[in-house]
Amino acid sequence: MFELFIAMVKEEWRIHSTMFGSLSFALFPILIFWIAFMGSFLLPLIRGVLPAGDLSLLLHSSYLMLGFMVGAFGLLGTEVMNQRFGQASLLAYSARSLPLSERFIFANFVVKDTLYYFVLWVLPLALGFLLASPFIGIPLTLPLLLSLTLTLSFLSGLCIVFFLSSVYARSKPALAAILAILAVITGAFYLITGQNPAQFYPPLQLFLDFSWTGLFIICAAIAIVFWLSIRLFSPDTTGPVKHHKNLLVPLSNKLSFLPNPPFAAKDLIDMYRSGGMVGQVIFSFLIPLFVIWFFLLLLHGYLPMYGLLLEFAIVTGVIASTMYTWITMFDTFGAYACLPVNVRTLIKSKITSFSVLQIIPAVFIAVVAVISGQAEYLVPAVVLTLSVSFYSLGITVWLTGLSPSMLVYDVKVMVRYLILTGIALLILSVIVFAEPFAAVGAVLLLFPALFFVRLGYAKWETREQPAY
Amino acid sequence: MTEMVIEANNLTKMYGDLAAVKNVTITVRKGALFGLLGPNGSGKSTMIKMLTGQIQPTSGSATVLGLDVKSDPVGVREKVGIIPEQETPPSFLSAIEYLNFVGAIRKIPDIEEKASWWFDFLDFADKKNELCKDLSRGTRQKLMFAQAFIHKPVLALIDEPLINFDPIMQHKVKDYLTDYVKAGNTVFLSTHILEVAEEICSDFAILHKGTLLYTGTIADLKSQQRHLDEFFLSLVNRDSHV
Repeated sequence: MFELFIAMVKEEWRIHSTMFGSLSFALFPILIFWIAFMGSFLLPLIRGVLPAGDLSLLLHSSYLMLGFMVGAFGLLGTEVMNQRFGQASLLAYSARSLPLSERFIFANFVVKDTLYYFVLWVLPLALGFLLASPFIGIPLTLPLLLSLTLTLSFLSGLCIVFFLSSVYARSKPALAAILAILAVITGAFYLITGQNPAQFYPPLQLFLDFSWTGLFIICAAIAIVFWLSIRLFSPDTTGPVKHHKNLLVPLSNKLSFLPNPPFAAKDLIDMYRSGGMVGQVIFSFLIPLFVIWFFLLLLHGYLPMYGLLLEFAIVTGVIASTMYTWITMFDTFGAYACLPVNVRTLIKSKITSFSVLQIIPAVFIAVVAVISGQAEYLVPAVVLTLSVSFYSLGITVWLTGLSPSMLVYDVKVMVRYLILTGIALLILSVIVFAEPFAAVGAVLLLFPALFFVRLGYAKWETREQPAY
Repeated sequence: MTEMVIEANNLTKMYGDLAAVKNVTITVRKGALFGLLGPNGSGKSTMIKMLTGQIQPTSGSATVLGLDVKSDPVGVREKVGIIPEQETPPSFLSAIEYLNFVGAIRKIPDIEEKASWWFDFLDFADKKNELCKDLSRGTRQKLMFAQAFIHKPVLALIDEPLINFDPIMQHKVKDYLTDYVKAGNTVFLSTHILEVAEEICSDFAILHKGTLLYTGTIADLKSQQRHLDEFFLSLVNRDSHV
């Protein structure tokens, strides 16, 4: 059934290339290649500041995150796909019309995701590094090893999320129990040994000290987790039809202090009933941030603790800005096309819902500040997180309107996003390391944020919205 | 003088090199039950989308109830009722919540009472607390029908309104539309079911490959002792061979 796999790859390509244009999307791996190639020439400089081991740690953690995010979208995105592209229009969700088991389709889906994103992200990065190696005096074996371990890192993220989401689909308490056990084991290890568990991350260890046995063990572990995910995968997702209490009216009343309360109420109901609220908070927010926090802690040796907290606050802000994707993924403008609603009103209402959700990162970073013994920096950390989040939101609104998740792979959009956020975040990082309480000045980012949002209104108001 | 509720002049919609609608000029008088007829892909849905400001015409102009569809699309949608080509109520709202949502946006007083009337009239009160994603296509179509008429618009633009209904519901809806027009309102419907058009429409136009082939009245056709299906097929076949 190789045909199914090929069809899925074609489908994935066509989804992306239809949304962003074939050329824009085809340029994406070239962009990654170029960043890796040019970035490699900075390695001698970077290594003066950051040990090579820590640099590889950051790279491996980034690819672990990528695996998490690809996996989370692939599995939590069923309803998103149905909403965006119509019922059962993707092969992964069309088992009823094909003489194939859903488990078989899921297995193909896993392999397709692995290879597709390998070609899109891992291969260009490795090639960029490989081609630059002779010029910077790095042995060729190093980029080859890096491409192998980054692939393993990506697969680790992917298989963990597939496994956790398979468990989640079967039993939410079971998922909560597994996460709680993992948290306890990690915490206990940290407390007993005083060592950060992140430094034992297997693909990183393999990169630092390669052995065939290590490679075999990691591959076997990944294969087992994938196998378990497929075994646990429950194709029967449609239970008996439920009757639901009317939440829209009471929730609209409770949110009446906000602009457009029915829209905000609808967004929250969408997230609550789709399971997206819990799923997204766990897979796209908490897990990535916990992992990043542990990896950041490894830099404690030569960065002050307050610096790590405030850097983490910046990262939390960037990740919190992706909550805009959560609230735009369940509807297109088509759902509003028969109502007297314009794009500006809809974007405004999404920003309102986004603002309500910002309570999550605000509480999260406050808790991290307290737990890490840096409570005195709680206010700067919270201000930093929220300011960065709204600033990134402003840029996202301007660049992508109501389709943030669909435009991520448009190279032109991505480059503009990276430049605009990168410059601001770099300046902020320098400032907060010099004077941590100056972080409250990040609130000034709200002005450019507002400016970008207004640009976004003007831009998207005049464009035809896809209704699918 | 007859009052026109829709006036479209040389309306054109291009998708790249493809002309979905080409220079269509149409007027719809107040109180008409106007049927826009055409085979699949003839541009009927594109016409409705342009007339309701869902998409912008590439060229040409149109007014609906005196409002320019290009400059005031929201104003148009505020005044009219619309049933889109694909029934797209939000997946995670229940049917009653969706009507509440529509009521809040359209600022409809006594929405609960009005929603309740529609649930009873279209016979789906037992489904009102089910999520839209769990509803059958027919029930979703009922819901979209209810949202289009719940604010009692003077003009409704509806795309294939009967296609997912069973014969009993089709009969009920046809009666509703006929009474609605008798009360002085106007309906602009697109369909490729010619029997329906012949049965309930007063005026009609035939669209083929984006081009307007004919506009007239069912009464004129009947006076010539011709049937709509035979007339339609002869026109479309002739155009296909040109």
